[in-house]
Amino acid sequence: MTVSFQPLHPVFVAEVSGIDLTRVPDPGTVAAIETAIAHYAVLVFRDQRLDDDTQRTFSRCFGPLEAATGGHVTALQDRRLPLDMQDASNLDRDHTVLDRYDRKRMFNLGNRLWHSDSSYRPTPALYSLLSGRIVVEQGGHTEFADMRAAYDALDNTTKVEIADLVCEHSLLFSRGLLGFTELSDNEKFLFAPVRQPLVRRHPATGRQSLFLSAHAGSIVGWPVPEARAFLRDLTEHATQKHFTYSHKWRQHDLVMWDNRTTIHRVTRFNETLVRDMRRTTVAGP
Amino acid sequence: MAITIRPLTPMFAGEVSGIDATRPLDPSDVAALEAGMDRYAVLVYHGQHFNDDEEQKAFSLNFGALERTEGGNVTKAGEQRLGAFMADVSNLGADHKPLPRDDRRRMFNLGNQLWHSDSSFRAVPAKYSILSGRTVVDKGGRTEFADMRAAYDALDNATKAEIEDLVCKHSLIYSRGTLGFTDLSKAEKAMFKPVRQRLVRTHPVTGRKSLYLSSHIGTIIDWLVPEARAFLRDLTEHATQPQFTHRHQWQIDDLVMWDNRTTMHRVTRFDHTQARDMRRTTVAGDAPTVAQRAA
Repeated sequence: MTVSFQPLHPVFVAEVSGIDLTRVPDPGTVAAIETAIAHYAVLVFRDQRLDDDTQRTFSRCFGPLEAATGGHVTALQDRRLPLDMQDASNLDRDHTVLDRYDRKRMFNLGNRLWHSDSSYRPTPALYSLLSGRIVVEQGGHTEFADMRAAYDALDNTTKVEIADLVCEHSLLFSRGLLGFTELSDNEKFLFAPVRQPLVRRHPATGRQSLFLSAHAGSIVGWPVPEARAFLRDLTEHATQKHFTYSHKWRQHDLVMWDNRTTIHRVTRFNETLVRDMRRTTVAGP
Repeated sequence: MAITIRPLTPMFAGEVSGIDATRPLDPSDVAALEAGMDRYAVLVYHGQHFNDDEEQKAFSLNFGALERTEGGNVTKAGEQRLGAFMADVSNLGADHKPLPRDDRRRMFNLGNQLWHSDSSFRAVPAKYSILSGRTVVDKGGRTEFADMRAAYDALDNATKAEIEDLVCKHSLIYSRGTLGFTDLSKAEKAMFKPVRQRLVRTHPVTGRKSLYLSSHIGTIIDWLVPEARAFLRDLTEHATQPQFTHRHQWQIDDLVMWDNRTTMHRVTRFDHTQARDMRRTTVAGDAPTVAQRAA
Protein backbone atom coordinates (compact mmCIF):
# COMPACT_ATOMS: atom_id res chain seq x y z
CA MET A 1 0.00 0.00 0.00
CA THR A 2 1.44 3.37 -0.91
CA VAL A 3 0.91 6.62 0.88
CA SER A 4 -1.44 9.10 -0.83
CA PHE A 5 -2.68 12.62 -0.16
CA GLN A 6 -6.18 14.03 -0.72
CA PRO A 7 -6.59 17.81 -0.43
CA LEU A 8 -9.13 18.93 2.19
CA HIS A 9 -9.09 22.65 1.37
CA PRO A 10 -8.54 24.84 -1.72
CA VAL A 11 -5.19 26.29 -0.56
CA PHE A 12 -3.68 23.81 1.95
CA VAL A 13 -4.31 20.72 4.13
CA ALA A 14 -4.41 17.10 2.92
CA GLU A 15 -5.60 13.85 4.40
CA VAL A 16 -3.03 11.08 4.25
CA SER A 17 -4.00 7.50 3.59
CA GLY A 18 -2.17 4.24 3.05
CA ILE A 19 0.06 4.43 6.08
CA ASP A 20 0.18 2.89 9.56
CA LEU A 21 2.09 5.24 11.86
CA THR A 22 2.61 2.58 14.52
CA ARG A 23 5.19 1.02 12.17
CA VAL A 24 8.44 2.76 11.33
CA PRO A 25 8.06 4.24 7.82
CA ASP A 26 10.72 3.58 5.17
CA PRO A 27 12.87 6.49 3.92
CA GLY A 28 10.78 6.79 0.75
CA THR A 29 7.61 7.29 2.75
CA VAL A 30 9.30 9.83 5.02
CA ALA A 31 10.46 11.75 1.96
CA ALA A 32 6.95 11.63 0.47
CA ILE A 33 5.50 13.07 3.70
CA GLU A 34 8.14 15.81 3.78
CA THR A 35 7.37 16.75 0.19
CA ALA A 36 3.65 16.73 0.91
CA ILE A 37 3.88 18.87 4.04
CA ALA A 38 6.04 21.41 2.22
CA HIS A 39 3.13 21.75 -0.19
CA TYR A 40 0.05 21.22 2.03
CA ALA A 41 1.47 22.61 5.33
CA VAL A 42 -1.05 20.54 7.33
CA LEU A 43 -1.46 16.75 7.09
CA VAL A 44 -4.28 14.78 8.68
CA PHE A 45 -3.78 11.08 9.49
CA ARG A 46 -6.94 9.26 10.60
CA ASP A 47 -7.24 6.16 12.81
CA GLN A 48 -3.67 6.03 14.07
CA ARG A 49 -3.63 4.21 17.41
CA LEU A 50 -0.50 5.81 18.76
CA ASP A 51 1.00 5.65 22.21
CA ASP A 52 3.78 7.96 23.36
CA ASP A 53 6.50 5.60 22.08
CA THR A 54 5.10 5.17 18.57
CA GLN A 55 4.30 8.90 18.34
CA ARG A 56 7.88 9.73 19.31
CA THR A 57 9.37 7.22 16.89
CA PHE A 58 7.33 8.52 13.97
CA SER A 59 8.07 12.14 14.87
CA ARG A 60 11.82 11.55 15.06
CA CYS A 61 11.81 10.51 11.41
CA PHE A 62 11.68 14.26 10.69
CA GLY A 63 14.36 15.44 13.11
CA PRO A 64 15.21 15.73 16.79
CA LEU A 65 12.38 16.59 19.16
CA GLU A 66 12.05 19.78 21.13
CA ALA A 67 12.02 19.43 24.92
CA ALA A 68 8.95 20.91 26.59
CA THR A 69 10.96 23.18 28.87
CA GLY A 70 10.34 26.91 28.83
CA GLY A 71 6.93 26.74 27.20
CA HIS A 72 4.57 26.55 30.15
CA VAL A 73 4.13 27.19 33.88
CA THR A 74 4.03 23.54 34.98
CA ALA A 75 6.70 22.58 37.52
CA LEU A 76 8.79 19.52 36.59
CA GLN A 77 7.32 17.42 39.42
CA ASP A 78 3.78 18.31 38.30
CA ARG A 79 4.21 17.05 34.72
CA ARG A 80 1.81 14.40 33.48
CA LEU A 81 3.94 13.44 30.46
CA PRO A 82 7.66 12.95 29.77
CA LEU A 83 9.66 16.03 28.80
CA ASP A 84 9.63 15.32 25.07
CA MET A 85 5.81 15.11 25.00
CA GLN A 86 3.99 18.46 25.14
CA ASP A 87 0.82 18.19 27.14
CA ALA A 88 -1.95 19.91 25.18
CA SER A 89 -4.62 18.36 27.38
CA ASN A 90 -6.74 19.92 30.11
CA LEU A 91 -5.51 17.33 32.61
CA ASP A 92 -3.48 17.37 35.79
CA ARG A 93 -0.69 14.90 36.57
CA ASP A 94 -3.25 12.51 38.08
CA HIS A 95 -5.11 12.52 34.70
CA THR A 96 -8.15 14.29 36.13
CA VAL A 97 -9.47 17.54 34.68
CA LEU A 98 -7.65 20.65 35.92
CA ASP A 99 -9.57 22.77 38.39
CA ARG A 100 -11.24 25.80 36.80
CA TYR A 101 -9.03 28.11 38.85
CA ASP A 102 -5.81 26.20 38.19
CA ARG A 103 -3.02 28.45 37.06
CA LYS A 104 -1.93 25.90 34.43
CA ARG A 105 -5.41 26.01 32.92
CA MET A 106 -5.40 29.83 32.82
CA PHE A 107 -2.05 29.71 31.06
CA ASN A 108 -3.24 27.12 28.54
CA LEU A 109 -6.17 29.32 27.53
CA GLY A 110 -3.54 31.15 25.50
CA ASN A 111 -3.88 28.31 22.99
CA ARG A 112 -7.19 29.85 21.96
CA LEU A 113 -5.19 32.65 20.33
CA TRP A 114 -3.69 32.17 16.84
CA HIS A 115 -0.06 31.17 17.22
CA SER A 116 2.86 29.31 15.75
CA ASP A 117 4.33 26.77 18.18
CA SER A 118 7.52 27.86 19.91
CA SER A 119 7.73 31.16 18.03
CA TYR A 120 8.88 32.44 21.44
CA ARG A 121 12.04 30.30 21.23
CA PRO A 122 15.23 31.58 19.56
CA THR A 123 14.96 28.56 17.25
CA PRO A 124 11.25 28.11 16.64
CA ALA A 125 9.64 24.74 15.93
CA LEU A 126 9.59 23.00 12.57
CA TYR A 127 6.71 20.50 12.74
CA SER A 128 4.15 19.81 15.42
CA LEU A 129 2.43 16.42 15.61
CA LEU A 130 -0.72 16.36 17.69
CA SER A 131 -2.38 13.10 18.62
CA GLY A 132 -6.00 13.02 19.75
CA ARG A 133 -6.07 10.36 22.46
CA ILE A 134 -9.36 11.46 24.01
CA VAL A 135 -11.34 14.06 22.11
CA VAL A 136 -14.45 16.09 22.90
CA GLU A 137 -17.54 16.04 20.73
CA GLN A 138 -18.40 19.72 20.82
CA GLY A 139 -15.82 22.44 20.19
CA GLY A 140 -12.13 21.81 20.85
CA HIS A 141 -11.47 22.04 17.11
CA THR A 142 -7.99 22.96 15.96
CA GLU A 143 -8.12 25.72 13.36
CA PHE A 144 -5.26 26.36 10.95
CA ALA A 145 -4.44 29.35 8.77
CA ASP A 146 -2.16 29.27 5.72
CA MET A 147 0.44 32.01 6.12
CA ARG A 148 1.72 31.59 2.53
CA ALA A 149 -1.68 32.24 0.99
CA ALA A 150 -2.15 35.12 3.45
CA TYR A 151 1.21 36.59 2.40
CA ASP A 152 0.45 36.20 -1.30
CA ALA A 153 -2.85 38.07 -0.87
CA LEU A 154 -1.23 41.17 0.66
CA ASP A 155 -1.01 44.25 -1.54
CA ASN A 156 2.45 45.20 -2.79
CA THR A 157 2.74 48.24 -0.52
CA THR A 158 2.27 46.05 2.53
CA LYS A 159 4.70 43.43 1.22
CA VAL A 160 7.35 46.12 0.83
CA GLU A 161 6.57 47.62 4.23
CA ILE A 162 6.92 44.34 6.11
CA ALA A 163 9.78 42.78 4.10
CA ASP A 164 12.47 43.48 6.69
CA LEU A 165 10.46 43.88 9.88
CA VAL A 166 11.50 41.96 12.98
CA CYS A 167 9.08 41.13 15.80
CA GLU A 168 9.62 40.33 19.45
CA HIS A 169 7.89 37.14 20.59
CA SER A 170 7.27 36.00 24.13
CA LEU A 171 4.75 34.00 26.11
CA LEU A 172 4.51 37.16 28.23
CA PHE A 173 2.77 38.91 25.36
CA SER A 174 0.25 36.20 24.43
CA ARG A 175 -0.66 35.58 28.07
CA GLY A 176 -0.73 39.31 28.77
CA LEU A 177 -3.43 39.69 26.10
CA LEU A 178 -5.66 37.44 28.18
CA GLY A 179 -4.80 39.30 31.37
CA PHE A 180 -2.60 36.51 32.71
CA THR A 181 0.26 38.52 34.13
CA GLU A 182 1.02 36.87 37.45
CA LEU A 183 4.38 35.32 36.64
CA SER A 184 7.30 34.61 38.92
CA ASP A 185 10.67 36.23 38.28
CA ASN A 186 11.94 32.88 37.12
CA GLU A 187 9.07 32.53 34.63
CA LYS A 188 9.63 36.04 33.34
CA PHE A 189 13.29 35.18 32.81
CA LEU A 190 12.33 31.95 31.07
CA PHE A 191 9.93 33.85 28.79
CA ALA A 192 12.39 36.60 27.79
CA PRO A 193 11.38 37.93 24.32
CA VAL A 194 13.15 36.65 21.20
CA ARG A 195 13.33 38.19 17.74
CA GLN A 196 11.79 36.68 14.63
CA PRO A 197 11.43 38.04 11.09
CA LEU A 198 7.85 38.91 10.11
CA VAL A 199 8.32 37.37 6.67
CA ARG A 200 9.99 34.01 6.19
CA ARG A 201 10.85 31.96 3.15
CA HIS A 202 10.31 28.21 3.15
CA PRO A 203 13.63 26.48 2.38
CA ALA A 204 12.08 23.74 0.23
CA THR A 205 9.42 25.61 -1.75
CA GLY A 206 10.92 29.12 -1.68
CA ARG A 207 7.46 30.50 -0.86
CA GLN A 208 7.25 33.47 1.45
CA SER A 209 4.92 33.48 4.42
CA LEU A 210 3.81 35.72 7.26
CA PHE A 211 5.38 34.72 10.56
CA LEU A 212 2.58 35.87 12.86
CA SER A 213 1.77 34.61 16.35
CA ALA A 214 -0.09 35.83 19.43
CA HIS A 215 3.37 35.70 21.01
CA ALA A 216 4.45 38.68 18.86
CA GLY A 217 4.15 41.74 21.11
CA SER A 218 6.14 44.39 19.29
CA ILE A 219 8.02 45.26 16.13
CA VAL A 220 11.63 46.33 16.59
CA GLY A 221 11.89 50.12 16.07
CA TRP A 222 8.12 50.75 16.24
CA PRO A 223 6.09 52.29 19.07
CA VAL A 224 4.39 49.35 20.81
CA PRO A 225 0.71 50.39 20.31
CA GLU A 226 1.34 51.00 16.61
CA ALA A 227 3.02 47.61 16.25
CA ARG A 228 0.23 45.80 18.06
CA ALA A 229 -2.52 47.50 16.06
CA PHE A 230 -0.70 46.59 12.83
CA LEU A 231 -0.07 42.98 13.88
CA ARG A 232 -3.76 42.65 14.73
CA ASP A 233 -4.68 43.90 11.27
CA LEU A 234 -2.26 41.45 9.65
CA THR A 235 -3.60 38.59 11.77
CA GLU A 236 -7.17 39.48 10.88
CA HIS A 237 -6.22 39.48 7.21
CA ALA A 238 -4.35 36.19 7.54
CA THR A 239 -7.15 34.35 9.31
CA GLN A 240 -9.99 35.14 6.94
CA LYS A 241 -12.22 32.17 6.23
CA HIS A 242 -10.66 31.37 2.86
CA PHE A 243 -7.21 30.92 4.44
CA THR A 244 -8.39 28.69 7.27
CA TYR A 245 -9.29 25.06 7.92
CA SER A 246 -11.05 23.83 11.05
CA HIS A 247 -10.14 20.31 12.14
CA LYS A 248 -12.91 18.46 13.97
CA TRP A 249 -11.13 15.81 16.00
CA ARG A 250 -11.92 12.11 15.93
CA GLN A 251 -10.24 9.83 18.40
CA HIS A 252 -6.88 8.53 17.06
CA ASP A 253 -6.39 11.41 14.63
CA LEU A 254 -2.83 12.63 14.24
CA VAL A 255 -2.44 16.08 12.74
CA MET A 256 0.98 17.26 11.64
CA TRP A 257 1.69 20.85 10.65
CA ASP A 258 4.54 23.06 9.57
CA ASN A 259 4.92 25.94 12.03
CA ARG A 260 6.91 27.90 9.48
CA THR A 261 3.93 28.30 7.18
CA THR A 262 0.85 28.06 9.40
CA ILE A 263 -0.68 29.39 12.59
CA HIS A 264 -3.30 27.54 14.60
CA ARG A 265 -5.55 27.77 17.65
CA VAL A 266 -7.99 25.62 19.60
CA THR A 267 -11.65 26.58 19.87
CA ARG A 268 -13.63 26.73 23.11
CA PHE A 269 -14.95 23.50 24.61
CA ASN A 270 -16.52 22.28 27.83
CA GLU A 271 -13.50 22.01 30.07
CA THR A 272 -15.16 19.75 32.58
CA LEU A 273 -14.76 17.01 29.93
CA VAL A 274 -11.48 15.18 29.42
CA ARG A 275 -9.56 16.21 26.30
CA ASP A 276 -6.26 14.37 26.12
CA MET A 277 -4.08 15.72 23.31
CA ARG A 278 -0.37 14.99 23.14
CA ARG A 279 2.09 16.85 21.00
CA THR A 280 5.55 16.03 19.80
CA THR A 281 7.48 18.87 18.27
CA VAL A 282 10.25 18.56 15.71
CA ALA A 283 12.88 21.18 16.54
CA GLY A 284 13.87 23.80 13.99
CA PRO A 285 17.34 23.61 12.43
CA MET B 1 -37.52 68.24 0.14
CA ALA B 2 -38.42 65.01 1.89
CA ILE B 3 -35.86 62.89 3.65
CA THR B 4 -35.15 59.56 1.99
CA ILE B 5 -32.92 56.74 3.18
CA ARG B 6 -31.30 54.20 0.87
CA PRO B 7 -29.99 50.96 2.45
CA LEU B 8 -26.24 50.43 2.05
CA THR B 9 -26.09 46.77 3.11
CA PRO B 10 -28.76 44.07 3.44
CA MET B 11 -28.60 44.31 7.26
CA PHE B 12 -27.99 47.92 8.30
CA ALA B 13 -26.53 51.34 7.39
CA GLY B 14 -28.48 53.80 5.26
CA GLU B 15 -27.58 56.79 3.11
CA VAL B 16 -29.70 59.86 3.77
CA SER B 17 -30.66 62.40 1.15
CA GLY B 18 -32.95 65.39 1.13
CA ILE B 19 -31.55 67.11 4.20
CA ASP B 20 -29.28 70.04 5.03
CA ALA B 21 -27.85 69.25 8.47
CA THR B 22 -26.36 72.75 8.79
CA ARG B 23 -29.84 74.32 9.04
CA PRO B 24 -32.54 73.91 11.70
CA LEU B 25 -34.69 70.80 11.24
CA ASP B 26 -38.45 70.38 11.51
CA PRO B 27 -39.64 68.00 14.25
CA SER B 28 -40.88 65.70 11.48
CA ASP B 29 -37.37 65.57 9.97
CA VAL B 30 -35.91 64.72 13.37
CA ALA B 31 -38.52 62.00 13.83
CA ALA B 32 -37.71 60.58 10.38
CA LEU B 33 -34.00 60.48 11.19
CA GLU B 34 -34.62 58.85 14.57
CA ALA B 35 -36.78 56.24 12.91
CA GLY B 36 -33.99 55.76 10.37
CA MET B 37 -31.48 55.27 13.18
CA ASP B 38 -33.71 52.70 14.86
CA ARG B 39 -33.88 50.75 11.64
CA TYR B 40 -30.42 51.23 10.09
CA ALA B 41 -28.27 52.00 13.20
CA VAL B 42 -25.82 53.91 10.95
CA LEU B 43 -26.79 56.86 8.74
CA VAL B 44 -24.47 58.46 6.18
CA TYR B 45 -25.01 62.02 4.90
CA HIS B 46 -22.86 63.42 2.11
CA GLY B 47 -22.03 67.07 1.48
CA GLN B 48 -22.80 68.48 4.92
CA HIS B 49 -20.45 71.43 5.18
CA PHE B 50 -20.49 72.78 8.73
CA ASN B 51 -19.19 76.34 8.83
CA ASP B 52 -18.25 75.87 12.47
CA ASP B 53 -18.59 73.45 15.38
CA GLU B 54 -21.69 75.30 16.60
CA GLU B 55 -23.61 74.08 13.56
CA GLN B 56 -22.62 70.47 14.23
CA LYS B 57 -23.64 70.86 17.88
CA ALA B 58 -26.97 72.42 16.91
CA PHE B 59 -27.72 69.49 14.57
CA SER B 60 -26.72 66.99 17.26
CA LEU B 61 -28.87 68.60 19.94
CA ASN B 62 -31.94 67.54 17.94
CA PHE B 63 -31.35 64.05 19.30
CA GLY B 64 -30.66 64.81 22.95
CA ALA B 65 -28.19 66.40 25.33
CA LEU B 66 -24.52 66.26 24.37
CA GLU B 67 -21.84 64.38 26.25
CA ARG B 68 -18.77 66.27 27.46
CA THR B 69 -15.42 64.85 26.35
CA GLU B 70 -13.66 64.78 29.74
CA GLY B 71 -12.70 61.35 30.98
CA GLY B 72 -12.26 59.87 27.51
CA ASN B 73 -8.71 60.86 26.60
CA VAL B 74 -5.24 61.72 27.88
CA THR B 75 -5.09 65.23 26.43
CA LYS B 76 -4.21 67.66 29.21
CA ALA B 77 -6.59 70.50 30.12
CA GLY B 78 -5.59 73.54 28.09
CA GLU B 79 -4.11 71.42 25.26
CA GLN B 80 -7.42 70.60 23.61
CA ARG B 81 -7.84 71.70 20.04
CA LEU B 82 -11.66 71.73 20.27
CA GLY B 83 -14.37 72.75 22.74
CA ALA B 84 -15.82 70.76 25.64
CA PHE B 85 -18.55 69.03 23.62
CA MET B 86 -16.42 68.23 20.56
CA ALA B 87 -14.56 64.92 20.74
CA ASP B 88 -11.36 65.35 18.76
CA VAL B 89 -11.01 62.27 16.59
CA SER B 90 -8.29 63.86 14.48
CA ASN B 91 -4.58 63.08 14.51
CA LEU B 92 -3.82 66.76 15.17
CA GLY B 93 -2.33 68.71 18.06
CA ALA B 94 -3.57 72.08 19.34
CA ASP B 95 -1.54 73.67 16.51
CA HIS B 96 -3.61 71.70 13.95
CA LYS B 97 -0.51 69.78 12.81
CA PRO B 98 -0.25 65.97 12.80
CA LEU B 99 1.02 64.63 16.13
CA PRO B 100 4.55 63.15 16.10
CA ARG B 101 4.69 59.37 15.60
CA ASP B 102 5.47 58.58 19.24
CA ASP B 103 3.27 61.28 20.81
CA ARG B 104 1.45 59.92 23.83
CA ARG B 105 -1.93 61.21 22.59
CA ARG B 106 -1.38 59.49 19.26
CA MET B 107 -0.49 56.23 21.02
CA PHE B 108 -3.67 56.52 23.06
CA ASN B 109 -5.80 57.30 20.00
CA LEU B 110 -4.53 54.18 18.23
CA GLY B 111 -7.04 52.41 20.47
CA ASN B 112 -9.66 53.61 17.97
CA GLN B 113 -8.35 50.93 15.62
CA LEU B 114 -9.97 48.37 17.94
CA TRP B 115 -13.69 47.63 17.64
CA HIS B 116 -15.56 49.63 20.26
CA SER B 117 -18.75 51.39 21.22
CA ASP B 118 -18.22 55.04 22.14
CA SER B 119 -18.21 55.81 25.85
CA SER B 120 -18.96 52.23 26.85
CA PHE B 121 -16.42 53.07 29.58
CA ARG B 122 -18.85 55.59 31.09
CA ALA B 123 -21.47 54.54 33.64
CA VAL B 124 -24.07 56.10 31.32
CA PRO B 125 -22.79 55.19 27.87
CA ALA B 126 -23.42 57.20 24.71
CA LYS B 127 -26.53 57.06 22.55
CA TYR B 128 -25.54 58.48 19.17
CA SER B 129 -22.17 59.56 17.81
CA ILE B 130 -22.12 62.10 14.99
CA LEU B 131 -18.83 62.30 13.13
CA SER B 132 -18.00 65.01 10.63
CA GLY B 133 -15.15 64.58 8.12
CA ARG B 134 -13.54 68.02 7.88
CA THR B 135 -10.24 66.91 6.38
CA VAL B 136 -10.08 63.32 5.18
CA VAL B 137 -7.28 61.10 3.89
CA ASP B 138 -7.25 59.38 0.50
CA LYS B 139 -6.04 55.98 1.65
CA GLY B 140 -7.21 54.11 4.73
CA GLY B 141 -8.75 55.99 7.64
CA ARG B 142 -12.08 54.36 6.89
CA THR B 143 -14.63 53.84 9.61
CA GLU B 144 -15.96 50.30 9.82
CA PHE B 145 -19.24 49.45 11.53
CA ALA B 146 -20.64 46.18 12.82
CA ASP B 147 -24.32 45.51 13.49
CA MET B 148 -24.60 44.07 16.99
CA ARG B 149 -28.30 43.21 16.54
CA ALA B 150 -27.63 40.98 13.54
CA ALA B 151 -24.62 39.52 15.38
CA TYR B 152 -26.81 38.73 18.37
CA ASP B 153 -29.55 37.19 16.23
CA ALA B 154 -27.00 34.89 14.58
CA LEU B 155 -25.77 33.37 17.86
CA ASP B 156 -26.88 29.84 18.66
CA ASN B 157 -29.42 29.39 21.44
CA ALA B 158 -26.92 27.91 23.89
CA THR B 159 -24.76 31.02 23.60
CA LYS B 160 -27.76 33.35 23.87
CA ALA B 161 -28.78 31.62 27.10
CA GLU B 162 -25.22 31.69 28.42
CA ILE B 163 -24.73 35.42 27.90
CA GLU B 164 -28.22 36.73 28.70
CA ASP B 165 -27.41 38.06 32.17
CA LEU B 166 -23.65 38.53 31.95
CA VAL B 167 -22.19 41.85 33.07
CA CYS B 168 -18.83 43.14 31.82
CA LYS B 169 -16.33 45.62 33.18
CA HIS B 170 -15.37 48.37 30.73
CA SER B 171 -12.46 50.80 30.96
CA LEU B 172 -10.07 52.67 28.70
CA ILE B 173 -7.37 50.97 30.76
CA TYR B 174 -8.33 47.65 29.15
CA SER B 175 -8.54 48.77 25.52
CA ARG B 176 -5.27 50.67 25.79
CA GLY B 177 -3.66 47.80 27.69
CA THR B 178 -4.43 45.51 24.75
CA LEU B 179 -2.15 47.68 22.64
CA GLY B 180 0.53 47.77 25.33
CA PHE B 181 -0.25 51.36 26.34
CA THR B 182 -0.08 51.07 30.11
CA ASP B 183 1.82 54.19 31.05
CA LEU B 184 -1.03 56.01 32.81
CA SER B 185 -0.77 58.49 35.67
CA LYS B 186 -2.57 57.93 38.96
CA ALA B 187 -5.11 60.62 38.02
CA GLU B 188 -5.73 58.94 34.64
CA LYS B 189 -6.21 55.56 36.26
CA ALA B 190 -8.74 57.08 38.65
CA MET B 191 -10.51 58.78 35.74
CA PHE B 192 -10.64 55.50 33.80
CA LYS B 193 -12.04 53.46 36.69
CA PRO B 194 -13.96 50.46 35.26
CA VAL B 195 -17.75 50.58 34.94
CA ARG B 196 -20.26 47.77 34.51
CA GLN B 197 -22.38 47.13 31.44
CA ARG B 198 -24.72 44.33 30.44
CA LEU B 199 -23.41 42.11 27.63
CA VAL B 200 -26.86 41.91 26.06
CA ARG B 201 -28.93 45.03 25.79
CA THR B 202 -32.39 45.70 24.44
CA HIS B 203 -33.11 48.73 22.27
CA PRO B 204 -35.75 50.88 23.99
CA VAL B 205 -37.69 51.59 20.79
CA THR B 206 -37.37 48.49 18.62
CA GLY B 207 -37.09 45.97 21.46
CA ARG B 208 -34.33 44.20 19.51
CA LYS B 209 -31.54 42.62 21.50
CA SER B 210 -27.92 43.30 20.66
CA LEU B 211 -24.45 42.32 21.82
CA TYR B 212 -22.89 45.11 23.81
CA LEU B 213 -19.26 44.43 22.97
CA SER B 214 -16.35 46.85 23.03
CA SER B 215 -12.57 46.63 23.25
CA HIS B 216 -12.98 48.55 26.50
CA ILE B 217 -14.18 45.33 28.12
CA GLY B 218 -11.57 43.74 30.34
CA THR B 219 -13.52 41.01 32.06
CA ILE B 220 -16.91 39.49 32.87
CA ILE B 221 -18.15 39.71 36.47
CA ASP B 222 -17.56 36.40 38.30
CA TRP B 223 -15.45 34.98 35.46
CA LEU B 224 -11.74 34.36 35.50
CA VAL B 225 -10.05 37.07 33.47
CA PRO B 226 -8.31 34.86 30.84
CA GLU B 227 -11.51 32.87 30.37
CA ALA B 228 -13.55 36.04 29.98
CA ARG B 229 -11.11 37.58 27.53
CA ALA B 230 -10.86 34.47 25.36
CA PHE B 231 -14.67 34.27 25.23
CA LEU B 232 -15.08 37.97 24.44
CA ARG B 233 -12.55 37.64 21.62
CA ASP B 234 -14.60 34.79 20.18
CA LEU B 235 -17.81 36.83 20.43
CA THR B 236 -16.14 39.85 18.83
CA GLU B 237 -14.79 37.72 16.00
CA HIS B 238 -18.29 36.36 15.43
CA ALA B 239 -19.85 39.83 15.58
CA THR B 240 -17.47 41.44 13.12
CA GLN B 241 -17.71 38.94 10.29
CA PRO B 242 -18.03 40.59 6.87
CA GLN B 243 -21.78 39.97 6.62
CA PHE B 244 -22.37 42.09 9.74
CA THR B 245 -20.10 44.98 8.77
CA HIS B 246 -20.11 48.10 6.62
CA ARG B 247 -17.05 50.11 5.67
CA HIS B 248 -17.32 53.87 5.20
CA GLN B 249 -14.77 55.48 2.90
CA TRP B 250 -14.73 59.16 3.86
CA GLN B 251 -15.25 62.08 1.52
CA ILE B 252 -14.86 65.62 2.76
CA ASP B 253 -18.04 66.92 4.49
CA ASP B 254 -19.46 63.47 5.04
CA LEU B 255 -21.44 63.22 8.23
CA VAL B 256 -21.91 59.77 9.74
CA MET B 257 -24.20 59.14 12.67
CA TRP B 258 -24.44 55.84 14.53
CA ASP B 259 -26.24 54.29 17.44
CA ASN B 260 -23.68 53.11 19.99
CA ARG B 261 -26.30 50.89 21.62
CA THR B 262 -26.53 48.66 18.55
CA THR B 263 -23.21 48.99 16.72
CA MET B 264 -19.46 48.87 17.17
CA HIS B 265 -16.99 50.70 14.97
CA ARG B 266 -13.28 51.22 14.40
CA VAL B 267 -10.98 53.25 12.21
CA THR B 268 -8.60 51.58 9.78
CA ARG B 269 -4.91 52.41 9.56
CA PHE B 270 -3.77 55.47 7.60
CA ASP B 271 -0.64 57.52 6.99
CA HIS B 272 -0.20 59.39 10.27
CA THR B 273 1.82 62.19 8.64
CA GLN B 274 -1.30 63.38 6.78
CA ALA B 275 -3.88 65.57 8.50
CA ARG B 276 -7.17 63.81 9.20
CA ASP B 277 -9.55 66.21 10.92
CA MET B 278 -12.62 64.39 12.21
CA ARG B 279 -14.89 65.97 14.81
CA ARG B 280 -17.41 64.08 16.84
CA THR B 281 -20.41 65.19 18.81
CA THR B 282 -21.89 62.60 21.11
CA VAL B 283 -25.52 62.40 22.17
CA ALA B 284 -25.60 61.24 25.80
CA GLY B 285 -27.44 58.10 26.82
CA ASP B 286 -30.19 58.36 29.39
CA ALA B 287 -29.42 55.55 31.84
CA PRO B 288 -26.82 52.96 32.86
CA THR B 289 -27.29 49.45 31.41
CA VAL B 290 -26.90 47.91 34.86
CA ALA B 291 -26.69 49.14 38.44
CA GLN B 292 -23.18 50.38 39.24
CA ARG B 293 -21.45 49.27 42.39
CA ALA B 294 -19.01 51.30 44.39
CA ALA B 295 -15.49 50.00 43.79
